Amino acid sequence: MWLRSGCPLVASRDEHGRGQETRKSCAILQTAINCAPMPELDPDIQVKFAIYEITAETGSVPNSSQVARKINIEENEVLAAFRRLHAKRLLLPEPSDPHRIRMAPPFSGVPTKFPVEANGKHYYANCVWDAYGIAAALHCDVISRASDGYTGEPLTLEAKNGEPVLKSYVAHFGVPAAHWWDNLIFT
Amino acid sequence: MLLFRSEETVNQWCAAHNVPRRPLVNLAQLWQLAVHWYANRLTVESRRPAPDEMVSIFQSLGLTGPFWDPKSDQWR
Repeated sequence: MWLRSGCPLVASRDEHGRGQETRKSCAILQTAINCAPMPELDPDIQVKFAIYEITAETGSVPNSSQVARKINIEENEVLAAFRRLHAKRLLLPEPSDPHRIRMAPPFSGVPTKFPVEANGKHYYANCVWDAYGIAAALHCDVISRASDGYTGEPLTLEAKNGEPVLKSYVAHFGVPAAHWWDNLIFT
Repeated sequence: MLLFRSEETVNQWCAAHNVPRRPLVNLAQLWQLAVHWYANRLTVESRRPAPDEMVSIFQSLGLTGPFWDPKSDQWR
């Protein structure tokens, strides 16, 4: 399944177990976006799908009114879903404005030091993990023109054909796993 | 989670910000984390890994100990 129940996942892997899915899946995403809504889906799932559909399509994480228009429900219902999805640790509303989404992991609702180019679109990732996460979520080649956290030197992250382009860079995890969601923006 | 060219710049950043040096993850490990967390994020079945699943994922990548235990209270 891809995005909506009823949309077939037609991607397949090549003889090496990779590649075909990567090359096809961006087209699959577009196909899935065009599929008709499935009213039987749980409201939280509908809201979550709408968030990711709009984000994947536009490069921008939507606000509550955009999500409401997308799936034709009241904005208050969307805001309630935002709160439940936050409780499930699936998104982070903007602390100062619950109508906006700060993080729909791996996507960021605000510009960050981890811009990601994928499928001809521009996204922002929340952190270095999420920069790769956008490649994993969209099943697309990506390039992230990031920088060294101390020196600011440009460092490029890439994923091609479902694999990372490995370099000797490292990620520093400053917060223990038990506390990632205590202050997710800091994490 | 920040990206660094090398362990050296990690140490410089930690010293400059007066924060303890914590675990480093290489890009191969980071990619696997991203795949585990996000490869199905746009599907009906999408969900965040449960705590026990997280521990298994971390262990499979050689990331062990209380730092990587989402239920650990050692760091409180």
